Parts: sequence; C-alpha cells; structure tokens
Amino acid sequence: MLSFVGRSIIQKIITLFFVSIVSFLIIHLAPGEPSQVDPLNPKFTPEMVERFRKEFHLDKPLYLQYVYFYRDLFTGKTVSWKDNQSVLRKIWERFLNSLPLFIVGTIITWTLSFPIGIRAAIFRGGFYDRSTTFFSYLLISIPGFFFAYILIIFVVTRFHVPVIGMETFGLGDASWLRLIMDRVWHLLLPSVLGATGGIAILSRYVRSQMLEVEGQDYVRTARAKGLPEEQVYYKHALRNALLPFVTMFGLILPGLIGGSVIIESIFSWPGMGRMAYEAILARDYPIILTVNFVSAVLVLAGTFVSDLLYLVVDPRIRL
Amino acid sequence: MRRRSRLQESWRLLKENRLAVIGLTIFILFFCIAFLGLVLTTGTDPTFDPARVRLQEKLQPPLSKPNLETLRPEEVPKLGVYLFGTDDLGRDVFARMLQGAWVSLTVGFVAVGISVLIGIFMGGIAGYFGQSNVRVDQVLATVVLLLGGGLLVFGARTPGVVLLVLGHVYILFSVWSKRIWGKRPIPKWMGVLYKDAISADTLIMRFVDIMLCFPSFFLILTVVALLPASMYNIMIVIGLTSWMGTTRFVRAEFLSLREQDFVTAARALGVNHWRIIFRHMIPNAMAPVLVSATIGIATAILTEAGLSFLGFGVPPPHATWGGILSDGKRFIFDAPWLTFAPGFAILIVVLSFNLFGEGLRDILNPKLRERN
Amino acid sequence: MTIRRVLILAPTVLILFLVQSYFWVPTYEQQTRGNPDRLNEYIAASIGDASILNPILSADSASSDINSMVFEGLIDRDEELRFRGRLATSWDIYEEAFFYVNEDANIPGKGRAGVEEVATLLKRAKAGDFEAAPEVKASLDNIREISVVPARDFLVTRREKENEDTETAEIKIRVSAPARIKLVLNNVDQDLFQNLSRVLGKDYFSSFNGQHYITLDDETWQSKRAVYAEEILPATEHNPTVVFYLRPGVKFHDGHLFDASDVKFTFEAIMNPKNLSPRISDYEPVKRVEVVDSLTVRIIYKRLYSPALGTWAMGMLPEHLLNDEALRKEAIHLGKDPEKFSMRQSSFSRHPIGCGPFVFREWKSDQYIVLDHFDKYWEGSPNYNRYIYRIVPDLLTQEMEFYAGTIDSYSVQPHQVKRLRDNPEYQNFSGLSFGYTYIGYNMRREPFNDSRVRRALSMAIDVDKIIDYVLYSQGERITGPFVKQTDYYDKSIKPAPYDPQAALRLLEEAGWRRNKEGWLEKDGKRFQFTLITNSGNDLRKAVLAIAQDAWKQIGIDVRTDLLEWSVFIQERVDKADFDALILGWVMGIEPDLYQIWHSSQTHPYQLNFVGFKNSEADDLIIKIRQEYDHERQVVYSHRLHEIIAREQPYTFLYVAKWTAVLDRRIVIKETDRQGNAVYKKIKPTKTGNFTFYFNKWVKLPETPTFSQEG
Repeated sequence: MLSFVGRSIIQKIITLFFVSIVSFLIIHLAPGEPSQVDPLNPKFTPEMVERFRKEFHLDKPLYLQYVYFYRDLFTGKTVSWKDNQSVLRKIWERFLNSLPLFIVGTIITWTLSFPIGIRAAIFRGGFYDRSTTFFSYLLISIPGFFFAYILIIFVVTRFHVPVIGMETFGLGDASWLRLIMDRVWHLLLPSVLGATGGIAILSRYVRSQMLEVEGQDYVRTARAKGLPEEQVYYKHALRNALLPFVTMFGLILPGLIGGSVIIESIFSWPGMGRMAYEAILARDYPIILTVNFVSAVLVLAGTFVSDLLYLVVDPRIRL
Repeated sequence: MRRRSRLQESWRLLKENRLAVIGLTIFILFFCIAFLGLVLTTGTDPTFDPARVRLQEKLQPPLSKPNLETLRPEEVPKLGVYLFGTDDLGRDVFARMLQGAWVSLTVGFVAVGISVLIGIFMGGIAGYFGQSNVRVDQVLATVVLLLGGGLLVFGARTPGVVLLVLGHVYILFSVWSKRIWGKRPIPKWMGVLYKDAISADTLIMRFVDIMLCFPSFFLILTVVALLPASMYNIMIVIGLTSWMGTTRFVRAEFLSLREQDFVTAARALGVNHWRIIFRHMIPNAMAPVLVSATIGIATAILTEAGLSFLGFGVPPPHATWGGILSDGKRFIFDAPWLTFAPGFAILIVVLSFNLFGEGLRDILNPKLRERN
Repeated sequence: MTIRRVLILAPTVLILFLVQSYFWVPTYEQQTRGNPDRLNEYIAASIGDASILNPILSADSASSDINSMVFEGLIDRDEELRFRGRLATSWDIYEEAFFYVNEDANIPGKGRAGVEEVATLLKRAKAGDFEAAPEVKASLDNIREISVVPARDFLVTRREKENEDTETAEIKIRVSAPARIKLVLNNVDQDLFQNLSRVLGKDYFSSFNGQHYITLDDETWQSKRAVYAEEILPATEHNPTVVFYLRPGVKFHDGHLFDASDVKFTFEAIMNPKNLSPRISDYEPVKRVEVVDSLTVRIIYKRLYSPALGTWAMGMLPEHLLNDEALRKEAIHLGKDPEKFSMRQSSFSRHPIGCGPFVFREWKSDQYIVLDHFDKYWEGSPNYNRYIYRIVPDLLTQEMEFYAGTIDSYSVQPHQVKRLRDNPEYQNFSGLSFGYTYIGYNMRREPFNDSRVRRALSMAIDVDKIIDYVLYSQGERITGPFVKQTDYYDKSIKPAPYDPQAALRLLEEAGWRRNKEGWLEKDGKRFQFTLITNSGNDLRKAVLAIAQDAWKQIGIDVRTDLLEWSVFIQERVDKADFDALILGWVMGIEPDLYQIWHSSQTHPYQLNFVGFKNSEADDLIIKIRQEYDHERQVVYSHRLHEIIAREQPYTFLYVAKWTAVLDRRIVIKETDRQGNAVYKKIKPTKTGNFTFYFNKWVKLPETPTFSQEG
C-alpha cells in the first residue's frame, strides 16, 4: 500500500515535470509578444520594447527563463505581466468565483444522471429509453453558445430579470437574504447550462454500465429471488456498476480550473476560463503557465485519488 | 460466409434501432450535400458563389427574391431566390452553408482521421509490444540527444553541441561494442546501463498521461491562437490533441486479444508480428474505434464552432457553419436566420452522428447482441 | 428505495431552490425605475477590464477611461480642440536659443569676430541697421533679448563599450567651451538660425567645429571625438520653453494640496527607467523641469518638438504618496526588496488617488470599477454621485443589458443605429472618430512599387458602397493621414473614384493584361497576392471579403488570410512580410507623422512598414513637428496630404463614426444666476465629443422640458 502510494507519487512528479516543460515550450516557441510590448503603438520606441523584454526576462535563453519562472512559482512570487498582481492570488480569486458554478453543476450531474440512466436501462428499447437517448444527444449536440444565447434571450425577454454576471448590478444595500438569493439566481443558468452536457454524457454511461452488469449472475440471482426490478438495479447492480464511476469522479477535479471560456464570456462570469483565455490573447505567460501547471496538478491529484478509491472500493485489487 | 452473416446480423440490428437509422440517413444525406456543395461552390465560376458580395442585398430574409434592378446579371443567385437569406455582406447564406458543409465535414474527418491513426499506432504498440523493455542506455542516449538538440535551439550553443556529440558517440560505441564483444559477458559497470529501465507500455501510457494533463479545449485554443490560422492547422491541432482516448482502448483491446486463442495459434505457426497485428488484431479491435470516431467527428465539428465563436475558427474565404453562426450572432435581433440556419444545421448533423455512433455501439457490443 | 429517492430528490430540491430565487431578483423595471438611487449612478460598459490605474503606466483603453476620471492633467482640449487650462490656469511658450561663437568664420563685411562683437552685431541688426529680407526681419523682430554666456571649462565623463564582451570604459572628456550667445525669443522659430546665417554668413553655423574644444585623455576612443563634439558642443540649440501657472487650492482626493512639485515628480516618474513608463518617448525631448515657485513650473525642451504641449494633458500623480520614501515604506511593509520595488508594483495602481472629478472606490477584477464623485472638485462636484464601469465581455450581452436599463451608455454597432434612432426612449449621438481604416501595400514588392498599380487597386473598390452597406452610413471617406475634424486635413482633396474600367486602363499602362481565363497577367505571371488582416475585427473581415471580391472582378487573384493579432503584428507587420494588409490607425490630434511616414522609419519593427519613401514628404514631416505656429503647420500638412494622396501607399478607406445611445432622461443640468436648475439637452461638441460636459449630466425620472437655446 505505502509502496504503491510512494511509487505513484514519484511517477506523478515526473509526469508533472514533463508537462511543465511541454507547456513552457508551446507558449514560448509560438510567435507573439506580451501585449505590454505593443510595437504598433507609436509611443513605444525599440528601446522601450527592449527594456520590457528585459524586465520579463524575455531576453534570456529559454532554459534560464524556465528556471526563473518555476523558481518564482514555487516561492509564490510570480506576478502577472498585465497588472503586476500576484498570479496565485488572482487564480485563487477566480477559483472562488468558479467554485459555486462547479459545485452546483457537479451535484446536479452526479445525482440526476443515475436515475435517468437506470430507468433507461430498465426500459431498454422502450419509449422512455429512446426519448432520453434522443434528448441527451440533443443536448450534447447543441453548440454551447448557440444554446446559451437562446436561453438568455428567452429569460430576459420573457421574465425581464437580469441573468448576466455574478449578481444583479446596483442592488446596493438590500437585505442579506436577498443578496444571497440574487447570487443564487445568477448561478442558475450558467450552472444548468454547464450541467446539461454532463448529465447527457453521464446518464448514457450509467445506462451502458447497467446493461453491462445486467447479465451477471448476482443480478440474475437477485431477480430470480423475485425482488422488484428497481431494487435489483439500485441495490445489486448499481453497487457493482459503480467501479468505473470512481475513476470518473477523480477526473472531475480538473473541471474546477478549466471552466468554460465560452459560457463565462457570454455570462460575464469572472471565472477561471475567461482569465486564462484573456491571458492567452495578451500573452500573459505567467498566468497561462500557472493555470496550466495548477490544472495539471489537479489532473494528477484526481487520478491519484481515483486510484486510491479503487483500492478501497475494489477488494480484488491489491497493489 | 460467416462474415456476411455477421454483416447481415448487424444490419438487422441496426434496422431495429430507429434513431440510429435516422442518424445514418442524415449522415449519408449530409455526405451527399457536402460533396454536392464542393462541386457547386468551387471553380472560377461556381453555380453558387459563396464569396459573391452584393452589398445592396444584405440581410435579406430567407426565401426573399433578389432585386433584379440593382443586380448585374452575373450577381443574381442561380436559384432565383435566397433560400436561406443573405448575410451582412449580401452573400447568399445558402451558398455559404453548402460550402461550409464540405469544410465542416473535412475538418471533422481529417481531425478524427489523424487522431485515430495516432491512437491505433500508439495503442497498438503499447498493447502488443508493451512488455518489451527499453534499456537504461537507450533512455539515456535519447535524453542526451533531445536535451542537446533542445539546448541548441534555445541558444545555449556549447553545451548543446557537446551533448549532441556525446549522444552520437555513445550510439556508435554501442553498435561497435556489440560487434567486438560478441557473446562475451559484458563487464559489470556496463551491466547497469544494459538493465531494463521501463517498458514500452509504461512509456506510452505516461505520455498519454502527460497529454491528458492539459485541459483539451484550452490546449487547442492556445495552439490555434498562437499558430497562424488556417483550416489545416485547426484540423491538425484538433487531431493531435484528441488521440489519447483511442490509444487507451486500442491498448486495452489489444491486451485482451493477445491472449485469445486465435492469436496464440497464429504466433505458434510463426506468423510475423505485423501480419498478426494487421490481419488478426486490428480488424477485431476496430469496433470501439469506429464508434468513438463517429462521435469524435461530431465533437470536432462542435469544437470548430466553439473556436469560431472565440474568433479562432477556420479563416475566410472558407465558410464553416461555426463561422457563419458566430458571425451571425451580432445580428441575432436583426437577422435571426443567420444564427438559426447554421445553428440548427450543426445541431442536426452532430446529433445524427451521435445517434448513429450510439447505434453502432449497441450493434457492435457482443454482450448486448447475445440478448437479442 | 432510499438511494433512488436521494438521487432524485437532491437535484430536484437543488433546482427548485435555484429556481425559487427568481422571486427575489428585482426585475429590470424595479431596478431602473423603482430605485431612486439608480438615477444618481452612471453605468458604462466595457469589453475588457482595466489593467493598471496609474496614468503614466497604463496603455490600454479601459485603464485610460478610468484614469481620465480619477486624474487630471494640466491642460486638455476644449470643444474646438484648442488647449484649455485644467490644473494649469494659463501658460506661456517662448524659446531660448543658443549658438557658439565661431571665431574662425568670416562674417560678411566684418571678418572674424569675438563674442561681444557678434552680440553687438545682432543687436544692431535687430535695431534695423541692415537691409534684410522680410523673413529675416521677422526672425530678428521676434528676438526679445540677446545676451552673452561666457566661455567655461568643464569635465564630462562618458561610458563606452568596445563591443558586447568588453567591460565598459569610462572616458573623461575635457571641454573648454567657447562663449555662446543666448537669444530669448517671443515665439518659437524653427527658421531662426537659417535666417541669422543671412546676417552672420552662410557657413557661420555649419563651419563651427566642436572638436577643437574638447580633449580626450584616452587615446583609444579618439575615433568618437566627432560624435562627442556634436553631442556636447552643438553649434546651435533650440530650447523651447513652456511655463505653466498652476491653479491654486486644488486638492488631491486625500486632501493634500496639489502644487508644482507634483508636476516635476510626475515628469521624473515617467523618465525613471525603473517604472517602464510607456509614455517615455513623449517626454524624452524635455531637458529639465524647474519648479519656479509652488504654483509655477518651467519646462525646458532640448529641441524643437511641437507636439510637446499636448503631452501635458497627462494625469498628475501625487508626489507625497509615490515618492521614493513612500515606496520604500510600502516595500518594507510588504516584505519586498526596496531596491527593486517600483511604482508598477505599488498598490497605488489598484487604489489610485488623483485630483480628477471622481474618487476611486472599489475595483472587482473583471466585474466592475466604482468611482464616487469628488465633492471638493475645483470645478464643482459632478452631478452623478457615482460612476460605474462594468466589464461585460460579450457585445450581445452588452446590448441586452442596455435595453434592460442596467447599462447607461452603449457603443452601438453600425447595424443597430437605425433601429435605436427610431426608438423614442433614447437619444443618440454620433461623430467621426479619430481613426481610419486602410489597405496598405508593401511598396518594397512587385507590383506595388508602381503608384499606378496602387491607384488602380484603390479605384477598383467601391468605398462608398462599403460605407453605405457595411457601416450603414456610419462613416465617411478619408483621403489622407490626418484627423478629419482638424484643419490639418485638406478637405479639397478628392478620393480616387470607383471606376473599374479606368483601373483596368491604369493597369494596362503598367503592363498588366487579361489572359484567356480572365486573370491579369504581365510577362506570363499572374497578378496574384495575399491580403491579410487580424482576426477579431468584424469590419476588417468584411472589407477583406469585399476587396477580394472586387479585385477578383478585374482579374486579380487575391488570397486572404486572417491572423491572430500578436502573430499578425510580430510575424507579418514587424518583419514587413506581407503583400497587402488591412489595418487602422488611431490618430492623435497633433499632425506629427514622423513614425508612420518618414523614410527613416521603414526598417523592421518600425511603423512605416509599407516602405513609403518620398524626400519632399520627409522634409515636410520634419518641418511640421518643429513648427509651433498653427497656420504654418496647416500649410505644410496640406502639402503633405496631397503628396500622400497622390502616391497612394495606402488605399484610404474610411473613418468610422462612433454612435452612442443614451437614455433620453439623461440631460445637462446647470444652475442659472438665481440658483434655479436649468436643463439642457446633451449635444455633442463640434468635434463630436458628447461626454464633454459629463460632470454636469444628470438623469431625471422623466424627460424634462428644455429651456430655449440657440
């Protein structure tokens, strides 16, 4: 057990090291300069551009830049080129903004998908199954922004309430309950939008997993015992079909940081994805690299957690 | 004989799944339209010219008639009517959609083609040759060479050259030493170098892990934003960032197939590796690949639309559905058809791909087949 | 089944909880009409967030928007684009000019002369002793004072590097400068020395050799002698000088009094290399800033540079919060190295304090910036209590928020103008912007080095149609590089007409003929090139498609490409690796075209990337930037405009009009002599600036009746 943990941590660190190199190379070898160095602004003389490059260590050879960057990152000194704010603090701020969206989306996805998928499995080939199949694929197939616009226009024109941003603007000093409810309302559309795709995919997956275990002996036995169909599925089949979901659950961690650029831009949600997207456009290397690094750490942590969960859940695996 | 009956069996199963049949129909229809679109919209004087600008006819609603008085004869659309209306430059949306069908299809197919090829290759190696090991000295030599090359590219000349030379010298040395020593036992100090370091399987799967560490849409976005925009770059980037899934299950499939009797038998007969792989294993591992490829095409089309929304889609003069949609969103109140026509087109095509893929999955899944 | 119940109930409850919050949210009506506070707030929307709220460091438009509210400059431009005093009440511009006495030169009718003799000679000339041409006379009359600066000896040290690897050497230069004559002029006069040489002899200034007066100790650097002599002892020197008289009693938001040392501090902060100010090039010609007394500053320039005055519209920084001592304290407080800590790192950039009409209050990244009105503002506190800058990255959502009433102003896209104009709830303004869009041709490449080809390409594009249909008439044609509202722009110059046939004739003259397939050909080569622009700009993308189509119709095979902005700039524009491109310039009001059109600026990474070279134009560009007299600047500019329009290095397309829409209930409120409120309709100024009187705006519950006015 311990040796497994140790081995896997070392492995993850090596992977992380390669990820850091690859992401660094992608960004630094691509053309473009930080937007602070704007050569099309007549006010920028070549000397200015040179001085900026020096400030950002862009004049140094790449391997030195790499060392500088990760040294700063680990000592917590990295600052964004755009506004000299500490990158970690910025990411933390955005992380807190993205968190509620993520939590609500995840809860809805990871609860609702199961009954939907199981019911589809029970009535396999029936009307219910077909219509859920159709609808889940419908939801997967709509381009996200198209759907978002249609929803926003519908809500705004029909109900005349604001949906953009994290809170209603200029609510000022209303009661705290109202302020909270207002925030909750603003959560609704983006989180539901984010969850729809998830529900569609996960419920499909639940369905196929259920069908997978359905032929197993213990399920047949349970059914032979005369247990009602629902109980067979929820009590006997589900528990054994859960294994693959354990892995999936570990992998949702990175969703925390990825966010959705498109949804966040449309809803003016000051989240992680949007910050990273703007950083790409402005070539704010410290932010891009840190976001990348943090998300890689999360992915690896996620796989690590799911490996551990596997150990706990599945008695057959002894490493 | 057996093969045919299997096909017939699949066909029968497919016919039962009405959604999949609808999916397949639309799929084929879309194919024809895309091909027709290619024929009708290219050349010096195409039947439907998607690039023809008629500024005075802009934002005409669908099915409106062109104003013959202000148009020169060659500017009049061939159908005599703007089937899907015109866009903000007076271009015929129908012609653009036709052209876009082909472009979207190409983007989807090429991207998925790339990812499937890489996936099969990597997964195949990991699954079939996974147990063969890479030696410590091989790893070291590769690292030294890569590091040297890298340093050379990034400006550190001297250490780079030194490392490169070292690497090559070692390779020559090892080739030469093999010949000299022959079967004599290798000295102890070199034994360390000849130890097995890592299996090919681990190497490839670690690489997959590294690739999975990048948030995929984000990675695509970064690369597309940084590279010069072109249709080919987008296809390649989408392909290069989505092969990991295929690799994983091709590997899994190969691992289980390797142990199957027919493979063992073939090996016992002395059939060479490549023949086993191409004749016996790949055809049997194709089913899940096919399913994921079908769904992959749908995803690629959606990804392209998302990139277009952010302004990094396929650049003009190629029209894509995603591009038309994101251009049209500015006019959603003034000219809703610019949003809805491509929006629904994408929806329908992607949906049909997904449904067909799902149907395919059911058909090809032997476990489910037994029950019927 | 518990599991099943939980799995179904939990999300249902959650969704119900989310949905019920609907009943707590104010509708737009409640927000905008039911809430009286809303009337005292002005909400502007922006696509991007600000980055740094320090006027000397910011370079993006969002930061500038906020900085212009929080900070205030010494001067700004009024409705007619003339300079107007803000923190300065008035100012004087004069010139001090110097020249070294050239004792070796022969003065006509006089021979060699010492310093006193030259001075007397000039005084007599000024008194009218000579028969002189009128322009010489004008120059002489302009001289207010003639005095002598005696000869003096001094030591200068310079640091030099032989090449990259060697250490810097310190070179000592001993200078025994000869006597100088100092002239104080009433007005800046760029022709002064040219005219004086008519009195003192043609070569009097040019034959002055500074090398005689300097000695270098170190033999190895003798080769640089001439360079040093030129630097340390220039034969003539123009020192234009501006004196600002500051407004007394102006306070910063923290109550500290604004005075001359703040001006000096702001200047020094810009020049401090540690701060990496992007404005450094504006102030580089400044020789020094002197504090005369607490309300008077004198700014002395190294050389003639007429755009100089406009740079003082820059917001003034509070010295007491940002000087070395304050920064050191902050660095120590934050646990950072005080040596490396600069204004860029200071928390001031996120909590700015200036002396503008609005006080900074709160900034939530990527959400909003809130400003409160400053009740001690010297010109009277703004009517709005609060100015809010919302960041809404998507244009379509901006539009929806505007309709809903949670954004007050909204920069309208051309296609929406007509719809909004007809809406009785809104008032709208439009005016020409300061920028123009063009197609630039790389004149280093075939066939764009032929002006006939460039003209033909311009004539093949129906620009009027672009303006009518793509811009929905929200634009005007432009024919040259000056801001159209200013008089530097010569309105009599006609644009190249749309005439494809004439274009074909021009191309035929240049050797291009149609081949069988209809493509233009010359010496067996097809006329083929790539037109590029940056992605993310819908108008440029439209022009790209239109130009491609238009040129295709006269037989030119045009490829197009869209590139992401920074790739576009770095890989294509900076390296001049393009055939033709679509871009825009946003012009300053000053007619200084040096960086974009002078032939010395055609190297990689410089802004004359089309490679325009014309010696007469070069000459005019230099003259314009050295001329302080408006009328003469106008004359030079018109000539320059004509040359550029003739040469067509660009196809000048259009200046877009901006359109802003406001709620009709927003009006200007003034108080008349009896102290009654008088409401006026908001009107854009002559130059199209509708926010000029922003401080007097107010939003009323109902649209008022307006007092009669002309």
